[in-house]
Parts: sequence; structure tokens; C-alpha cells
Amino acid sequence: MKDFRFERETRGAVQLVRLSGSLDMYSFPRLETQVNALFQQGQYCIVLDCRELDYIGSAGLGALIGFAKQARQQAGDVKLLNVPDRIYKIIELLGFTKVLEVHSEESSAVDSFAKK
Amino acid sequence: MTESAKGISVGCANKIVYVRVVGRGTFQNSQPLRRYAMERMNDGCSEFVVDLANCDGMDSTFLGVLAGIGLRLRQDRSDDKLHVVNVSARNLQLLQTLGLDRLFGIDDTGGNPGNGQPPADTQFQRLPDSDVTTLTTPLNKNTTAELMLDAHDNLMRADQRNAPRFRDLTKFLRQKTEKRKADG
Repeated sequence: MKDFRFERETRGAVQLVRLSGSLDMYSFPRLETQVNALFQQGQYCIVLDCRELDYIGSAGLGALIGFAKQARQQAGDVKLLNVPDRIYKIIELLGFTKVLEVHSEESSAVDSFAKK
Repeated sequence: MTESAKGISVGCANKIVYVRVVGRGTFQNSQPLRRYAMERMNDGCSEFVVDLANCDGMDSTFLGVLAGIGLRLRQDRSDDKLHVVNVSARNLQLLQTLGLDRLFGIDDTGGNPGNGQPPADTQFQRLPDSDVTTLTTPLNKNTTAELMLDAHDNLMRADQRNAPRFRDLTKFLRQKTEKRKADG
């Protein structure tokens, strides 16, 4: 099991957070802390790049909805990018794709905030 | 550990149910465990021993299914319990984070030989589709959503501190489940 890691980059007004490893109950509080820190800085436009994500647990999936909800209350959003097939199948199965925007291109994810 | 050794194995002796988790316990393999546990509890089994010696990790749905077993045992008879044995530091932290260390009996001694061990002649069977790396049957979206909802409701019943943690997830799953039922 790979350790969970994240790296943050800025794309204009959008924060791009690259996730890698395993996002489970054990590692999830670290992402929560990071996202909450962005919210406190007034950054509500966030893209989570999941390309290197090996695993996401059910609590992590549920919390993504919470992040998106908080961001939308401030005219932002939390969107997913490069979701691996095995993870996409899970979020689609559970209907999360109806409430979370998923992109396959970084430019598409970043530019989608400008179109709001 | 070979891939084929992964999964959930169960055995029952003297009304005690033994569960061995090898690999991950997740929402993808929680359903067969919940089904088996319900059957055994309906048969009168009053104690569960869950061996996590080879468990790489558990998600909240799996832990919620265990919590459901623990809550039902406690409801049926207050002295019955679910015991978790051979708990790694990482898994112990998960249990503590969700407050389940107060619902379960926990052996966190690192695996004392003989502790929580079933009788030598206990027959174990591996639950079907319990190895999340080689699932053969596609998950059903409705039963999976209901399983996740029930599991997270259990976690919130087990410890009120879990309510804010899972509020958004359970709200989403409840709306989805209720809409499906209303749509027929």
C-alpha cells in the first residue's frame, strides 16, 4: 500500500491538488486539513488530480461531496481530474458522478471554473 | 501473501463466529460478511472474533458493518460482544478514530499466540467475492448504496462524534435510496 501524498499547484484562480497513494480513513484527515486550509485562504476553486491515486475508501468519497458542497456555497467547486478507471467505476456506481464534476483533461477542469 | 489467499474467511464453533480478514476490508466485500453474520446471529451465535492479523486496512463501510454486528450483539444481550484481535497500530487508530474501541473488545497486543484462536477442528470457508482484487460479480448500485448507508448509520449510532464526519455521505445515500424506492 502506497502512502498518501499530495502536492499543490496554482493555475490562476484555481488550486490544483495532485493526489497519490491510498486515500483511506487513515490518510484522509491529511487531505481534509489541506482542503480546509485552502478554504480558509478563500480558495474555493479546487481540482483534485487523482491520476496517481491507488485507492479511495467510502469515507473519502463521501467527504468529497462535503468539500464540493462547502465550495459551492462560496461560488466555487471541487472537481475531479484523471480519475483512474477502477475508482471511476466506483463513484459512478454510487451515483457520485451526478454531484461531482469529473474531467479527463487538466485544461478542461481548470477552464470550467471560468465558464461558471 | 498470495493474491488467492486474500479475502474473508469465516468459521463457527461453540456459537462463536471467527472471522479472518486477509487484505483489505472494504465496501466491496462487506456485503457477504454482513449476510453471513446476520445468518449466524439468527442461528443464536452470540460472540464474534475478528482476526485482523493479515488485514491491510479497512474502510468506513467495512467498519460500519462490524459496528452493526457489535450493536446487534449488545442489543440482544449486553454481555455478548464482538472481539477484534491481532490489531495493528494503524488499524487500532482507525477503530479509535471512529470510537469503535468502546464498542468492541480489542486485543492490541500485536498477536498473542492462542489469543482469540478457534478450536483446531474449526472449519473455515472463504466468503464468495470477498477478495476485492478479484471480484467476479459486479456490485449492484442499489444494494451497495443501501449497504453503505446502513454501515455509516451504524457508525453514527455507535459514536455520536461520527455524525458530522458522515453527515454529507449519509444524506446523499439516503436521498438516493429514498428516490429509488419512490420511483419503484
